[in-house]
Amino acid sequence: MRAPRPILAVATVAVIFISLPVVGLLQRTPWSSLDELLSRDSVIQPLLLSLLVSVIAVLVVVVIGTPLAWTMARVDMPGRRIVRALVLLPMVLPPVVGGTALLFALGRRGLIGQWLDQWFGLTLPFTTLGAVVTAVFVALPFYVIAVEGALESGTDDLEQMAGTLGAEPMRVLRRITLPRLLPAMGAGMALAWARALGEFGATITFAGNLPGRTQTLPLATFLALESDTEEAMALSLVMLIVSLAVLIPMRDRWMPVRRREQ
Amino acid sequence: MRGLLVAVLLATAVACSGSDTNDLTVFAASSLTDVLPDLATEYENETGATITTVFGGSNHLAAQLRDGAPADAFLTADARLLEQVGTRDRPVNFASNRLVVAVPAGNPAGVSSLADLARDDLRVVICAETVPCGAATSGMNSTINADSQEISVRAVLSRLSLGEADVGIVYATDVASEPEVQPAWQQPEACPCVTYTAGARTYRALPFLAFLTSPVAQGILTRHGFATGEPD
Repeated sequence: MRAPRPILAVATVAVIFISLPVVGLLQRTPWSSLDELLSRDSVIQPLLLSLLVSVIAVLVVVVIGTPLAWTMARVDMPGRRIVRALVLLPMVLPPVVGGTALLFALGRRGLIGQWLDQWFGLTLPFTTLGAVVTAVFVALPFYVIAVEGALESGTDDLEQMAGTLGAEPMRVLRRITLPRLLPAMGAGMALAWARALGEFGATITFAGNLPGRTQTLPLATFLALESDTEEAMALSLVMLIVSLAVLIPMRDRWMPVRRREQ
Repeated sequence: MRGLLVAVLLATAVACSGSDTNDLTVFAASSLTDVLPDLATEYENETGATITTVFGGSNHLAAQLRDGAPADAFLTADARLLEQVGTRDRPVNFASNRLVVAVPAGNPAGVSSLADLARDDLRVVICAETVPCGAATSGMNSTINADSQEISVRAVLSRLSLGEADVGIVYATDVASEPEVQPAWQQPEACPCVTYTAGARTYRALPFLAFLTSPVAQGILTRHGFATGEPD
């Protein structure tokens, strides 16, 4: 189908708008000293930590987010809209507020945190685990909303049929629901991962900033911007490459792209 | 549609050009968060000017200035930054501050000496080296086993007031302003110190800089725990 000209024009403007900052970043990148910059510990360490934190966070998100999305989509319960709003809240909340809220709940003197500290000697702030918890908190809604949407739009015909044919609910879930849900789960994982990787405000507020322990790529970039602009550019470039490397293949494999046949 | 666009553009133009010569935008280091509003109010009463304040980490503010942020004056604890961003006339030193080893009220971890900063079992929080309080902290030449390097001194202070950290290094004025935080032990009023310098980015900020060293302003600074006059 040929798009009408005005639509194409606006779409082009939108693409230019969204890619301009990337171009700006690329033209400021110190290409000649990039080799040296990228081999610095102060670049590699945050990169590895960011990958570790975001990947673990996404795994946790899938494990707790899938049942949550299923419950929200399929179980008729009172207060469903309130649960939904609560789950989506971290998407809207300014990250710094989210981080502060986490402190009040899970910090050493927080609502739950004080007991974690007293009973298990476990304190989350200033630990890598704390950075993971933060990432899960901000990324979970992105996954849940993607999976819940797919569960709501998918018809129950197959599931009902399997049920009438005598399949146990867990078996229906495993054999019918989950396989059809995979594309949405993949898309949700990509979104959640991207959110976890880019998290700054909540991480620095809740987990703090220590190289090798809690200093993720965004934190390292922010600090480098204040002291070593070239290193900051190199860190930004790393972030850009890692993100595109995950998002580009994801799009084709997982996103439910609907193409009209020619 | 077109009418609306014109209206928006006009409103923007008016908003941008409407700054009175009496209106000042002041960028200031985050450690001045408590005192600057008092100074601004006094200046506003004296001159009828309106002051808008923006607080942040000194380096971050300097980066914004280099990128063209519209500030009339920049108050920082790192005079080199003023050289970098450029000023009208000479910058003015108007106060100084010193570092204090501080703990949450009641000193729950029993911190009693500099040696405690090296302990593994304590949660020690300091400023990142990129901000002035962090640079001064590394000037202490103590072994510090930090659990977090915060991006501003106020962030360190909030770690202490919330009880997340056992001990931290902040400015004397921060301890004075926060009832939930106290000095870890009686510390002599000696350096390591930082000196606050004010630089004018526009000529109309020069009277405000002169005001900062006036007896009234110096009195306000002293009341907030800053040292005034030349540091020893």
